[in-house]
Amino acid sequence: MKAEDPAPQTMKFGRFEIVAAERRLLHEGAAVALGSRAFDLLAALVERRDRIVPKEELIEVVWPGLVVEDNNLQVQVSALRKVLGANAIATVPGRGYRFTMAGGVATPAPSSVDVPAHGRIVPPASFASASPSSSSAPTPAARLLVADDNKVNRLLLCRTLELLGHHVVTVENGRLALERLRAERFDLLLLDLEMPELDGFGLLEQRSADTALRQVPVIVTSSLEGVAQIARCIELGADDYLHKPVDPTLLRARVEASLERKRLRDREQELLERLAPGAAAHREPSAALPAGTRLFATLLMARLHGVEAIAAAQPAEETLELVNGWATLMVDALAGHGGRIHQMTGDGLAAVFAEPLAAVHAALEMAEMSALFAADRAAAGKAPVALALGLATGEIVAGFAGTPRQAAYACIGAAVRQATELAALAASSGRTVLLDGATQAALAGTGPASEPVPDHPASAPRQPAAVVHALSVPAA
Amino acid sequence: MIPTVIDPHTFDELQANAGADFVIELVDTFAEEAPTLLAELYAAQAVGSADRFRRAAHSLKSNSSTFGATRLATMARELEIGGMPAEAAPIEALGRELDATIAALKALARQ
Repeated sequence: MKAEDPAPQTMKFGRFEIVAAERRLLHEGAAVALGSRAFDLLAALVERRDRIVPKEELIEVVWPGLVVEDNNLQVQVSALRKVLGANAIATVPGRGYRFTMAGGVATPAPSSVDVPAHGRIVPPASFASASPSSSSAPTPAARLLVADDNKVNRLLLCRTLELLGHHVVTVENGRLALERLRAERFDLLLLDLEMPELDGFGLLEQRSADTALRQVPVIVTSSLEGVAQIARCIELGADDYLHKPVDPTLLRARVEASLERKRLRDREQELLERLAPGAAAHREPSAALPAGTRLFATLLMARLHGVEAIAAAQPAEETLELVNGWATLMVDALAGHGGRIHQMTGDGLAAVFAEPLAAVHAALEMAEMSALFAADRAAAGKAPVALALGLATGEIVAGFAGTPRQAAYACIGAAVRQATELAALAASSGRTVLLDGATQAALAGTGPASEPVPDHPASAPRQPAAVVHALSVPAA
Repeated sequence: MIPTVIDPHTFDELQANAGADFVIELVDTFAEEAPTLLAELYAAQAVGSADRFRRAAHSLKSNSSTFGATRLATMARELEIGGMPAEAAPIEALGRELDATIAALKALARQ
């Protein structure tokens, strides 16, 4: 199609340049080999770089009209990260992906140039809004419900929240609020106390007895006087209280804090459901723990070596940013190969695979991503980190361990211990990925290249026939 | 000291935060809704419903505070806290103050 307006022909992000008209990506002027789906994905992410893009939306754009599973998207995201750098595309768990590279200087295309419809890249109004800095990024838009019988209060609250970038639905009493909460998804409820039909206290009482409703945080906004009212709200489970007239700065801070807490809860819930189906339900008190299962599996233990030194020397925020960034990449790689994570410890994680080959491919991708991650850090003059990963195969027992009130999905068995030891050995010996003999044997020559580490103590005596292998990991 | 009809600082902040055009809309809404609340005060008194009276006074107090109508807010609060009076005089006084407040708000909003 013909470009109808001065759509940008090229956009620059650091050393990269996207030539939309030719559907090409250049690195310092040289063309980068990129598949068509990867390019479409890149175009879609760049076009929407002022926000987090849900996976479903990306799949619809990149594979229009096709039913495609999430892991196809993850493969393309990984391909782009390998080219652009590990941090170029951020995963926002439960919400989607966001393009984070700074830049976006556009050159208008001449009107005679043909621009493919799906390759067109439109810059947002402000490039500043696409800043990669997570701390300064605006809060993602949330869906809020405002319950207030007073029209002036409703209008003003709605206006203030919309100016903060949120989508707002309003209702006039507690009964209508309950109906909407039960029928639709909301991220937060702002609740007045004095209302006809069902007042704020009545709503809070019904909410306290309803597991689903309790997932939506509540900020009470009222001009009722007296500490007793506030205390009663808190006792009934309200997350916060704001006195009317509501100060816009306080409102913003409280809303963002509540939304952030909900996002963390949702993320935890989603991880639990994704990695250990049914786990979330068992966090409810009094639920019985399900029976465990015995299975033959490959265990993967990964550690980010070097974090302890950074934690001791750097601000806490930097350490958390480091481990969160790394974990995001690792979780993507694991999920893309069918791994089920059962343990996350900040600088380490453990996952279980049904197929040894899938575990090896996940390990390779994790090694590649970690190397890119480390290279990005090195380029920024930051302290080094390195992946140390162990894979072991054998029979394990998997299930929920703990008490009915608090349980975690756990894997127990010799292979778990073996994988842990191999990860520690990889860290101490400067290797990246070590496989136990059982994993190597299960691959039966079909896996990527590896070399034996025969004199290693982990090879004996528990599995005398096994020899630890070091996986050949491509350089970043 | 008798408070002024509209606290200019509160009103300016409201305009700065929500936008002057929006505040015009908000003032118009208040001008439509407030007489209903005043009527509710009379009606509640007529049927002896202290709870209805308190709620209407509470709403008037809340909205008055939003616009910086400090004198009206004080009068509404006195009715909310003090309970339903035996006579109509306090409600009539509040009604007069409400008229003055709405006129002042409309003028300020369109300045």
